[in-house]
This record gives sequence, C-alpha cells and structure tokens, in this order.
Amino acid sequence: MPGVNMIVCCKQVPDPEAPPVVFKVDPATNKMTLPPEVKPVIGQYDEFAMEAALRIKDKAGGKITILSLGNKLARDVVKKTLAVGGDELILLEDETFEEGDSWSTAHALAMAIKKTGEYDLIFCGRQSSDWDAGQVGLGIAEILGIPAVPLARRVEAVDGKVRVERVIPDGYEIVEVGFPALITVTSELGSLRYAALKGIMAAAKKQPIVWKPSDIGLEPSQVGAAGRRTKLAKLFQPVKEAKGEIIEGETPAEAGTNLAIRLREAKII
Amino acid sequence: MAFKGVDYYGIEELLSDEEKMFRDTVRKFMEDEVEPLVVNSFHKEEPLPLEDLAPKLGELGMIGPQIPQQYGGGGANHIQEGLLCQEVERVDGALRSFVEVQSGLVMYPIWQFGTEEQKHKWLPQIASGKTIGCFALTEPNHGSDVAAMETVAKKDGDSWILNGAKEWISEGSTADISVVYARAEDGIRAFLVPRGTEGYTQTFMDKKGAMRCGDVGQISLNDVKVPEENVLPQSTRLKQVFMCLDQARYGISWGAIGAAMSCYETALNYAKEREQFGAPIASYQLVQQDLVNMLTEITKAQLLAYRLGRLLDAGKARHQQISMAKRNNVEMARMCARTARSLLGANGCSYDYPPIRHMGNIEAVYTYQGTHFIHTLILGQDITGIQAFTREL
Repeated sequence: MPGVNMIVCCKQVPDPEAPPVVFKVDPATNKMTLPPEVKPVIGQYDEFAMEAALRIKDKAGGKITILSLGNKLARDVVKKTLAVGGDELILLEDETFEEGDSWSTAHALAMAIKKTGEYDLIFCGRQSSDWDAGQVGLGIAEILGIPAVPLARRVEAVDGKVRVERVIPDGYEIVEVGFPALITVTSELGSLRYAALKGIMAAAKKQPIVWKPSDIGLEPSQVGAAGRRTKLAKLFQPVKEAKGEIIEGETPAEAGTNLAIRLREAKII
Repeated sequence: MAFKGVDYYGIEELLSDEEKMFRDTVRKFMEDEVEPLVVNSFHKEEPLPLEDLAPKLGELGMIGPQIPQQYGGGGANHIQEGLLCQEVERVDGALRSFVEVQSGLVMYPIWQFGTEEQKHKWLPQIASGKTIGCFALTEPNHGSDVAAMETVAKKDGDSWILNGAKEWISEGSTADISVVYARAEDGIRAFLVPRGTEGYTQTFMDKKGAMRCGDVGQISLNDVKVPEENVLPQSTRLKQVFMCLDQARYGISWGAIGAAMSCYETALNYAKEREQFGAPIASYQLVQQDLVNMLTEITKAQLLAYRLGRLLDAGKARHQQISMAKRNNVEMARMCARTARSLLGANGCSYDYPPIRHMGNIEAVYTYQGTHFIHTLILGQDITGIQAFTREL
C-alpha cells in the first residue's frame, strides 16, 4: 500500500475529568474502584498520538491501524479512532489482559504488532492518562528492537524517514529517524480532530478485529496480571490537608507588613 | 468534555455507538467553539459569527444530518438529529434554530419537493455551511393561520412575480437563499429566492428579548421575479408546509431537553455550593423538590423524544405525536428555566449563569413552529375528532 503504514496504540481509561472524589481505593485489594457514572474515554495522550498519525496520513497517505488492549472495551469509545480516520481497529480484548503492568502490556502490544506484519511507524501517547507510567511505548520499541523518539510535538514523514520535533526542557530539538520507528507524542502536538458524522457513519460499517492471547502467540499466564514483572505493593489516596494561617495587625497596613515578614520567614519572598 | 449528561433512566443504554459518538462530537464542539462566544453575543445582540461557525458545523455533519450522503448530507437517523439539537441548544437556542432551519426547513423541502437539479445544486452547498438558507413562511399578520397568508405569486410567462412581506424569519437577514411561500392560483407554492434578487430585501430585527445570538429578520418582496426553475414543483399545498414544520418541531422537542439539562445542571451545582442559614440550599426540602421536579420532567421528556425518534426512523410516527413532544418538552424546558433562575436568586438574573438566556430563548420556542395552544388543538382534534381552531362568530 502506498504511503506510510502506521500503528497507533490507544488505551481506554476512566475519564480523567471525573471529580477526584469519586475515585476510591480498596486497600484490601490494592485496586481502584469507580462508580458507573465515570465513563471510559481514550487516554488524552493517546488521542494526540492518533492525531499525529492522521496528520502524516493527510500529507503522505497510508494506513492507520489502531491497537487497544483491555477487557470489555466500550465500542463507542474505541471506534472513535476509526471515525476520525483510522483504517483498522484491532482489540486485544480478554479478561486475562486485565491488571497488567507496563511490561506485560508492552509485551502483548509488541506481539500484536509483530502479527500485523510490516509497519513503518508506531505511535503511542507519552504516557497513559490513568497510571502515568510512561513506559509502554518505549517498552514496545525495546521488545521490537526499533528506535524510539519520545515526546514528539510535531511529526512529518519525509522520504522514508520521519522528522520529529521533540520537546526538551528549554525548547525542542529536531530528530530524524528512518522507518521503522516508534514515537511517543505529547500534548504540544495538539488535540485530536473531531469525529465528523460522515466518519462516524463510515466507521459503523467496520467491525473491530478481536484477538485473544493465543492469537498473538501468548499464554494467558504471560499477559495481564499473570504476566506482570512488578508488584503493586501499596495503593493509597494521600490525605490532603489545607492549613490556613490568619496574619493579623492593628491596622490594614500593619497586617500587610506582618504578612510580608511572615512570607519572608517562609522564604516565599 | 465538561458536561456528562442528565440520564436518570439509563437512556444511554438505548443509544447505538454511532448515536453516542455523534452526540459527543457535537457536545465537545459546542463546549470548545461556541460556548465561549455566547454570553457576549447574547448581551450585545450580535449574532454568532456564522461565516466562521457554519463551515465548521458543515464539516462535522451538523447541517442536514438526515439528508442522504449523495446530496451532501450525513445519512443520519432521527435520534442522531435529535441529539444534535439537544447538544446545540444546551449551549444556545438560536444556534439550534439555525441548525434546524437549515436541516428541516430549507434542505428538507428541497430534498422532498425539489427537482434533481435543485437538489444537486443547493443541498451540498447548504450542507457545507457555505450557503445559508431561511424559511420564509410567517407574515406580520399571519402566524398560526398560515393558510391566510397574503404574499402572492402570479405567473408571468416563464417566471413568477412575488409580492408580500415575511417576518420573524430565522436567518432572514443573512440567508443566501430563501424558501419563500406564497399564494398562487393553484395553492401555496414554495419558491427559491437568492439574496440580491431585485425587489427582495432582508432586514435584521433587533431589540429582541430572545434568540439574541441569532439572526432573525424581515423580508419584503416587491415584484420579485423568480424563474420557473426556482419553484419547488412538488410543494403545492399546505400539507407540504406542515411536513417541513414537523421536521423542525421534532428537532425542537430535543433542543428543549438540552436547554432544560443546562438549567438543571446549573441549579443542582449551585444548590450544592450556595450556603444560606449555615447550610447548602440543596439541603432544604423546598429546593430539593424543585430539583426533583426538574429532573423528573427532563426524564419524561427524554423518553418522549427518544420514542418519537425511533417511530420516525420506522416510518410510523404521526404528526400529532410530534406535536405532543414539541408541546410537552418546550413547556418542560420553560418550567426548568424559570425554576433554575429562581433557585439561583439574584445570580439567576446574571448572564454568568445560563438559565436567564435559556428562559428568554425558550419563550420564543414556546410560540414558534406552532404555538403551544395550536399543538394543544392539534392533539385535541386528534382525540375528539372535533377541530377547535376556528369557529363561526
């Protein structure tokens, strides 16, 4: 197929815009519990990754395959990637994929990418919007043995290579890398485009491909919770205490002076 | 997206993936691109910048969603069209009017009653948002009794000559193309009149207390010459006019839910935060009663609109059922707007909160596309078999 052959990894996460108060931790099981009103969404950084791939497709053409891993994935959430312009959606969907860590997730995604065959570029968000570990993308590149460029804010495919502007602490640098390569994308790239009605109606005609562990050459013991290489020792919600201090004075001017003294003592000014 | 919906009865579970996805697209677009503009536009009575917004609406499929894709539409079902209206009116009723006028009152008659040439010429450009249409039916002296319209069309060789005046026309002063209804010898006919036609003038109506984010205009027709090719050949009776109005009334029944959702959500959040007598006002029984009444009425309205949408998709809906949904849901939104406004106390009079805007807009909706009373009489006639619109005096 002419153009750039791309894979985008998108994770379904609980809506990060839900108020923090609804997120509860069960200390007995070290698991987070969510009320049903918190709807799933595609992680925000993964949406940026999808937009990066779409921009390359806009200019250079090609194909975008979306990979998503989990269990009971909401079709109206994951199919958004098709509605905005993705070509194929592969779901690694099975209860055994649940409760994985960065390693088991990266491993399963890498095996699925191998199964898809030839590819030029893989896009991931810089980190997930729930656990924020930021390791899966780079883990996939390591397992596949391909170069990785993290924190892309702009991408452009040029003559069999990709030119990446990647964010660094005081600006950005431009990196070029040949195909195949993996790129993680950050928020500076820009939001995912809207899913237009025509795209939504076209996506309705496409059915996701569902793969179980055996479809990607893995045993259930190698994925999800069973495949973890790390152990979650403790999951807890920190207690936030907001302490206030009233600075007083006989007059407003004196209170102001006292405030300045107190701020200086605290080394704030 | 900031808004998570009002869904006490699990209606979300009744929606298809495609219906939810389109709803979410519209919701996000309205929050991102329109909501920041609304307060200033309403305050100054300066219509939202359609030259910028309409092409974006068109690109997303928000204009003429139900029109077949071969004519530039989206091929959506009635639930998607309804959810579109809900999400647009949740932010602003005038923009919902714009969307519904384009889809139900301009594109629909061209699609249903026009020639293939007219469909291919006009529908794609209106769907794109690059051409704006209006529906010129109401007159200064004739609203509900549309059959008595005074605008006339006389045959003149291969053309028609139109004379008359139209008023309270959404997009009336800015439309590029107007569907003008006029009385001809053989019945009420529909004419496509482009902006700039000699004798055809469009004027913005200001000093309104409602729909201040939208264009509402007057149109005057003085010996306006319209070629035969601009006549919609299959629109020859009032029946076709009412078929168009049914489209818009259906959209209104969903739009009203959006306005009510906005008012309810505002009131609920406010009541939980606002403290009086040492406690949030949401802790007082009378306030809880108001909130419960709003939620109950919204839920009933959602079920009415949802079922109506499915009936329309199945080709089983009767126009009287559309009247019931429009009548009930607009009255429901009117109650919610007033209740929310009063729950917010003096703050409810500020444009910092949406209920006062919805309250103004919904007053207009209460009497347009068939007044509340007219829909009552449509239903009354349906169940008794006796028409009560006119009587001998």
